[in-house]
Amino acid sequence: MTAGSHPRGHREYVPADVEGVAGAIRCAYERREAVLASGRGRHLDVGERVRRCDLLLRLERLDRVRAHEPADMTITVEAGCTLSALQQTLGAAGQWLPLDPPCPDETTVGGLIAADLSGPLRASQGTVRDHLLGLSVVGAGGVIVRGGGRVVKNVAGYDLPKMHVGALGTLGVVVEATFKVRPRFRAEQAVVLRARDLAEGSALALRLRDALEPTWLEVVHPAGLLLAGATGTLVIAGMGGAPAWVEQTADAAVRTAEAYDPIRHADGAGLRRDVADLVARPAAAIIRASVLPADVPGSLATAVDAALRVGFARDVTVHATAGVSRIAVAAAHDVPRLLDHLRASLPERSVVVLERSSPAVEVPAADPGAGGPAVMLMQRLKQSFDPARLFAPGRFGGET
Amino acid sequence: MPPRATLASALAAIVGPDGLVDRPDALSVYDCDGYTLERGAPELVVLPRTPEEVVAVVRCLARSRTAFVPRGAGTGLSGGTLPVDAPVMICTSRLRTIELLDVPNRRARVQAGVVNAAITRAAAPHGLLYAPDPSSQPACTIGGNIAENSGGPHTLKYGVTTNHVLGVELVLPSGEVVELGGPVDDRAGYDLTGLVVGSEGTFGIVTRAWVRLVRAPEAVRTLLAVFETVDAASEAVSGVIAAGVVPAALEMMDRLIIAAVEEAFRVGLPLDAGAVLLIELDGPAAGLDDEADRVAAVCRAHGARELRVARDDTERALLWKARKRAFGAVGRLARNYCTQDGVVPRTRVPDILRRIADVAERHRLRIGNVFHAGDGNIHPILLFDERDADEVARVLAAGREILEACVALGGSVTGEHGIGVEKIAQMPLLFSPDDLAAMQALRSVFDPERRANPHKILPDALVCVEARAPRRQVPL
Repeated sequence: MTAGSHPRGHREYVPADVEGVAGAIRCAYERREAVLASGRGRHLDVGERVRRCDLLLRLERLDRVRAHEPADMTITVEAGCTLSALQQTLGAAGQWLPLDPPCPDETTVGGLIAADLSGPLRASQGTVRDHLLGLSVVGAGGVIVRGGGRVVKNVAGYDLPKMHVGALGTLGVVVEATFKVRPRFRAEQAVVLRARDLAEGSALALRLRDALEPTWLEVVHPAGLLLAGATGTLVIAGMGGAPAWVEQTADAAVRTAEAYDPIRHADGAGLRRDVADLVARPAAAIIRASVLPADVPGSLATAVDAALRVGFARDVTVHATAGVSRIAVAAAHDVPRLLDHLRASLPERSVVVLERSSPAVEVPAADPGAGGPAVMLMQRLKQSFDPARLFAPGRFGGET
Repeated sequence: MPPRATLASALAAIVGPDGLVDRPDALSVYDCDGYTLERGAPELVVLPRTPEEVVAVVRCLARSRTAFVPRGAGTGLSGGTLPVDAPVMICTSRLRTIELLDVPNRRARVQAGVVNAAITRAAAPHGLLYAPDPSSQPACTIGGNIAENSGGPHTLKYGVTTNHVLGVELVLPSGEVVELGGPVDDRAGYDLTGLVVGSEGTFGIVTRAWVRLVRAPEAVRTLLAVFETVDAASEAVSGVIAAGVVPAALEMMDRLIIAAVEEAFRVGLPLDAGAVLLIELDGPAAGLDDEADRVAAVCRAHGARELRVARDDTERALLWKARKRAFGAVGRLARNYCTQDGVVPRTRVPDILRRIADVAERHRLRIGNVFHAGDGNIHPILLFDERDADEVARVLAAGREILEACVALGGSVTGEHGIGVEKIAQMPLLFSPDDLAAMQALRSVFDPERRANPHKILPDALVCVEARAPRRQVPL
């Protein structure tokens, strides 16, 4: 757990099973106690600051794989199961859940869903919402609610699982999830390229996307963030899949980008894990800025370069095909200014949020008009599913 | 509720006289969608031309608290557009503009009435396509696809509608307009877009959507594998999945369907076969032949007596025509048919097919199967003659039994057609009262007065919905 990332002075409870979670939440609801759920505590710094926590529910004992039928290509697990343990079970059958958030050893399924974590693979494999088939959630008053199912296609009733993806535990506590899974890549390689700066690197990334359709495509700036001593900007293209295609595409990447000092990495998966971990790299704060992919080399690179020059920003990583970037801030007091700067410089439809922050950061009040009328619906949703406002109070930005 | 004439003139003032349908003979066109076992025409149909007209219509209805049903092209298969205590139907079929084709960002902003296939037609010159491909794609609208979270054969690899919709503009029943999601990834806040997709028009009306476009595959291999029995074909499906291959599509047609499509399209399918599998692999050219060889080997190992590979695009198109128009072809075999949409875990496909054969025998019905075998999403087609009341009753009973069997095998009552009115009675088989209460609460977030497509999806204790009986509208 990141020290001090949630209020102190709470009780902790480590339930043994789903009924234990339900009982604890029923009790907490009766006593009007605020509840915060935690897996391994690795991602508790995501989202806005929790204002109050009376009961910390640690789900580490809910770590069982409930069902894995390899031929059905689905898996049902409890929320406290780590992603590494899940991948190990699947790996025995040549399968995986193609999601690669940072720190899979310390990331539980519940945290993966609640914080909607993703990594480089999202470029071709999608994010949590694309793999989640069903969910059990303990809601207000300790009521267990199930949504979705265990089959790969299902449109019976509303898609309740979507409600909890990225909701940071503000609408209930996820206790069990079913995912569809995929066969593992039969081969994976990566090609690392060096560009002069962020603008050049991200433009190169988009050219590679159109020319080669790599499996993942990341930009890291400055290069030293990933490779000690390196300078400039790194562009990393990963290829996973059939061996013949991986080989051919890695060759093509080297040829296409000859001018950018291409280096081929045979252990593409290993490099990908290193890049994935950067999403949660240590910093006073990580700001997430999403723009249209084509705006990365232009307005995003310009805005971030300016912030890097004056030292507001320390470094940046970009999922190039999604247009999603993460900007690390070294000094807590620079966070509000950088948020303002990015919001003012990026195109109209961009999204800028404070994704992770250390306790030293003074979190600026959310801009009430930022989400428009959609925020009104989100407030109604929160009100409807957590009328007493006891699930991670404060974390849902729209509540005031 | 205002008198019908008052409402009609208020609506005509918004959409113009030719945008309003109020004559009984013309209204009868709207009395059902692709699910024909229940019928009931609305009192009025409005056909707005722009999203702004939709907003004006919904606001007009909000003032008098009149309930409404949204409708796209009417190709739905679960009675989702059947008006039940909803006097006004709002058709989005005239909202046909592709407003923006953003090639560099691989996104498009389209109006709700844009036809599914039209998006791919517009994107194709740029090497892009819109992936979800329901069989009705030459007619069905993106608005309808969003309401039903539609699938299609290629969703095995590419996912269903919800995986390709980035945002929507939604007119709430109150008349408020909300923009949910949008072209940029990783928004802040709850995934309301994900909730609207599949909500069957009960949250309001979607007028515009941002959709994702994907790169058209570099290469495609289409195989036809012929089996003596449905069982052998089902086992081959499991074998392909177990081999670690994710085909773009993996479809099965049984003997009755083969006969129907053969008569209609002369594709050259063997009439004496028990079942055929249509297997499509796509992606980069490198490695694709190797993958096709692996699939062929699995089929042979499971007793495929013949394997054909489509030699060119014409042959591939013919095979897909047979598959996608199979439903229409079945029309030659019987006066009426009803398609079910259950799902089972992939490994239980042989079990459910045996159950279907058993149900057919017991109820003295002809049932054909053409379905997404790779997803475990079955589509038994029950043939009948609507003039034979006893046969209709047997069709309804058989359909119910098949869906109950799907649930018993760990599956669902609908994979892509929706609950609509058709399967409301089966919802409690899948969900507990607490689950259903959560869904009701969610619905109230968007539509507290329950005026958008009332009495759909959720069993409703307040109104006696007489299942299976054709409904009549109470005159205004």
